[in-house]
Amino acid sequence: MEIKIAINGSEERFEAKQSDSLLDVLRRHGYTGAKRGCDTGDCGFCAVIVDGEARKSCVVPAKRAEGATVETIESLGTQDDLHPVQEAFVDNTALQCGFCTPGMIMATTAYLRENPDPDLDDAEAREAIDDVLCRCTGYKKIVESVQDAAERMDGREQVAADGGVASDVEERADDGPADPGDGGESA
Amino acid sequence: MSKMEEEEPEPEDATVESETGEPEVDADERFPMAWDEPAGNRKEPEERENISQFVEKYDARKIVTGEAKYTADFRDRIPDLAEGKVLRSEIAHGHVKSIDTSDAEAMDGVYAVITPWSDVVPDRVYTSAGQSYPEPTPWDLTVLRKKVRMVGDPIAAVAAEDRETADRALRKIHVEYEELEPVLDVEAATDPDAPQLFEEDFVENQQSGADYSRNLQSSFEGELGDVEGAFEDAENVLETEWETPYQNHCVPEPHTTIAYRDEDNRHHLISSTQVPYHTRRQLAHLFDVPIRDIRVEKPRIGAGFGSKQAMVIEPITFALSLAADRPVIYEASRREEFHAMRSRHPMKLKMKTAVDDDGTLQAMDLFALSNTGAYGPHGMTVAGNVGTKPLPIYPRVPNVRFGADVVHTNLPIGAAMRGYGAPQGHFAVESHVDEVARELGEDPVEFRSKNHVREGDLDRISGILGEGKKHARRIRSCGMAECIERGKEAIGYDDVEQPEDDHRHRGVGVALVAQGSGVAGDELGAAHIKMNEDGSFILQVGGVDTGTGTDTMVSQIAAEALGCDAGDIVVHAADTDIAPFDYGAYASSTTYITGQSVKKAAEDAKETLLKWGSKLLDEPPDRLVAEGGEVKSEVTGESVTLEDIGYESMYGGDEREQVMGEASHSTDESPPPFGAQFVDVTVDAETGEFDVNRITFAADLGVAINPPLAEGQIEGGEHMSLELATSGGYEFEDDGTPKTLSFNRYGMPRATDHPPMETILVETHEPSGPFGAKSIAELPTNGVAPALGNAIRDAVGVRIHELPITPERIKEQLDEEE
Repeated sequence: MEIKIAINGSEERFEAKQSDSLLDVLRRHGYTGAKRGCDTGDCGFCAVIVDGEARKSCVVPAKRAEGATVETIESLGTQDDLHPVQEAFVDNTALQCGFCTPGMIMATTAYLRENPDPDLDDAEAREAIDDVLCRCTGYKKIVESVQDAAERMDGREQVAADGGVASDVEERADDGPADPGDGGESA
Repeated sequence: MSKMEEEEPEPEDATVESETGEPEVDADERFPMAWDEPAGNRKEPEERENISQFVEKYDARKIVTGEAKYTADFRDRIPDLAEGKVLRSEIAHGHVKSIDTSDAEAMDGVYAVITPWSDVVPDRVYTSAGQSYPEPTPWDLTVLRKKVRMVGDPIAAVAAEDRETADRALRKIHVEYEELEPVLDVEAATDPDAPQLFEEDFVENQQSGADYSRNLQSSFEGELGDVEGAFEDAENVLETEWETPYQNHCVPEPHTTIAYRDEDNRHHLISSTQVPYHTRRQLAHLFDVPIRDIRVEKPRIGAGFGSKQAMVIEPITFALSLAADRPVIYEASRREEFHAMRSRHPMKLKMKTAVDDDGTLQAMDLFALSNTGAYGPHGMTVAGNVGTKPLPIYPRVPNVRFGADVVHTNLPIGAAMRGYGAPQGHFAVESHVDEVARELGEDPVEFRSKNHVREGDLDRISGILGEGKKHARRIRSCGMAECIERGKEAIGYDDVEQPEDDHRHRGVGVALVAQGSGVAGDELGAAHIKMNEDGSFILQVGGVDTGTGTDTMVSQIAAEALGCDAGDIVVHAADTDIAPFDYGAYASSTTYITGQSVKKAAEDAKETLLKWGSKLLDEPPDRLVAEGGEVKSEVTGESVTLEDIGYESMYGGDEREQVMGEASHSTDESPPPFGAQFVDVTVDAETGEFDVNRITFAADLGVAINPPLAEGQIEGGEHMSLELATSGGYEFEDDGTPKTLSFNRYGMPRATDHPPMETILVETHEPSGPFGAKSIAELPTNGVAPALGNAIRDAVGVRIHELPITPERIKEQLDEEE
């Protein structure tokens, strides 16, 4: 089947299989910033922004992303011109292996657009990234980065219009991973 | 600053007694306090240009933009890449009687199906443990298994055009087993009538004390002084027992390998490994291929924590690529990570001490029963670290005994994991010592302060299992007292305010911690550095950045030695064709060993640099210094830039050469970093529920090369220790089938599960380390479990002997007290 996605500001058509997750489609087409950590919606390394909300793309069926607006890490800044959230992670040394970082940054970005607050407190910052696991940092420097990013974001990025075509993209929490052999807790 | 896992030299003899029980007469001579430190190794803070500062992490920008390439991200660069999948045993113990692959092989899009009987699959035994040669680990694995010893043992594998096809093919493979009774209890495993996992002649390269008729992978003991005599004469004796569970690495990037034959007819692997050079050697031996024909490349890796100090999936991927005659990628699933890869060994420990009424420790006796599961990679060496890492915190105790049994069960494989036995050992030692203090009516910190390690001590305990040159070490740097003082102050140790509710009680606990910096006498790091025309450098180094910041750290060390900016160092690391040799990222070795090789290589290059500076400035080299991107005369103040030298040395009229340097580094030293972990907890005495209010860690890591990266190591290490303390462990069905197969079921702590953390770096100067550095990666994995247990003891008076510490276990103890 073919699905149409507004990805990172451009309308694209992608070939997809029935069983594909959004993550499968993204990674197959070069958007490899989103990482595959579990395929069961547990780790959040694959988080991207779908119609304005951070979603774990491994449990979004590709077919349900038809018509959606999707933003991936590739849509933020470049190495020479970082987005404020990216800058905050770099300047606070809030990354080690980096495998969770794209998910962390997308979750943070979505949260801060919805909840712009230059004085974000510790509990709110933890809430912003609670769906994304990190094994390297103990979360401390990431939480500090989220707070720093909130301050940097203030006024630098407007709250995004939630203008996706399809607003019915839901996490496929009930029917497990796209790839049954790769197993999970669904059984 | 590397975050890797320990590998201790093998206990060479089952029992090594010290000859006299007294420190040797010539100890001062053999292990002198003085160290012949190279000029410029000790720099005052104001003299440091690149070290002890924030330097942006080398790979930070590509990581935050999603451009960093991990193994699975190389997919689209390799045409015709087939997808590998593995069929794993569904039973815990038995023989594979037959495998019918015909249906799978007949499928469209299936390129190869391999079984233990396939020609490309070697029969010989090997070990997955990524250690030096020959590995101090038994060779007890085969690539695919005719006899299965755990649920998850690989039986067959498929290469197909995509994941779906590979999965469907797996489901069409039919396996018949002859089931055997599984061994699931570590204590019953050594009974004479317990089912036997290994035929005795199956295992090669057997280790000390092995007795496969009793499922014993290894057994050893070492003693200093006269422990039994000390207990007979003791004023006070305390004996305690402890238990720790399985812990999963939860490595973010699952094990992933791409294997293909390149245009030079050589075998190329791109792999998420901490040990590319060991893997190259082990793969060559296993498949009988010359080392020269294998290239192992480590791209960015999504962390290791010891799970990748092992050749876990490379052999299967390699065999599949041979059978399919095309490139193959095998990306392990999270489910496989939880049951079929590697874990921290669960252990049962016994600790006994003799102590004088005045609080002087006279004897320590520690025994560990380690469950290595179905196979034995790192089994003996991890068990060795249980004693040799924490016991040297008290190096003046004259009578010490330490031993362990490492036992097989039909359960997941224990192996290297950050801390490498030290977290289990510290839980026993630091919980026990705390109890000794409390029973004597002493303050636990004061008690420790009488006995803990100091600068100048001769530590013989770290060598209790060995002999010869490695059997003692002089402590040349030790900031333990300052760690305790600053940690106490930060946590508010002397002023703990109790909650208003009568049934809620607050307590503070401490644990002292120690680790090593590399494996004493069993490491090698090497580096090569070359200058470009513009005065920048390309550094080739074997050290493996697993996310810890190795590439950043080596750029800072090279720049500090060459007097340029860390940003002028381009790092090419951990590709066996390109970078010099390195043992790999484990044992907290990278800064201390690899970093020292980089410093020596940079100093080697600096000699040539100064020679060219001398030529251009017309002054003798001994009057010149390299700093601030220039070579400068200390006499005249005249200078030339590195760029001037770069162009002149490469394009000059009369003589030309490239400014280059190279060096290897190996040593018998492994100076311990030290630390003090504090935990502040509030416990509800009615329910056992507890809140960790905050945790504080003060670390003596020598000189921190990159303080924010060092702090990150500490905070991440505490995260793992917090998990071991409060939520680790696997569950199994009665037949040994694992039930813990996902992050959610396992319960890895999330951001909202974490208490506030305070991190304190205590600087000491280790003369044998590069610019005074020791290590930090593993040290902080040792402290939260004992410190939390001690805090709960402080708050409500009960002692939890088994991890994880849960409200139920606290409640049970509280009820017993009543």
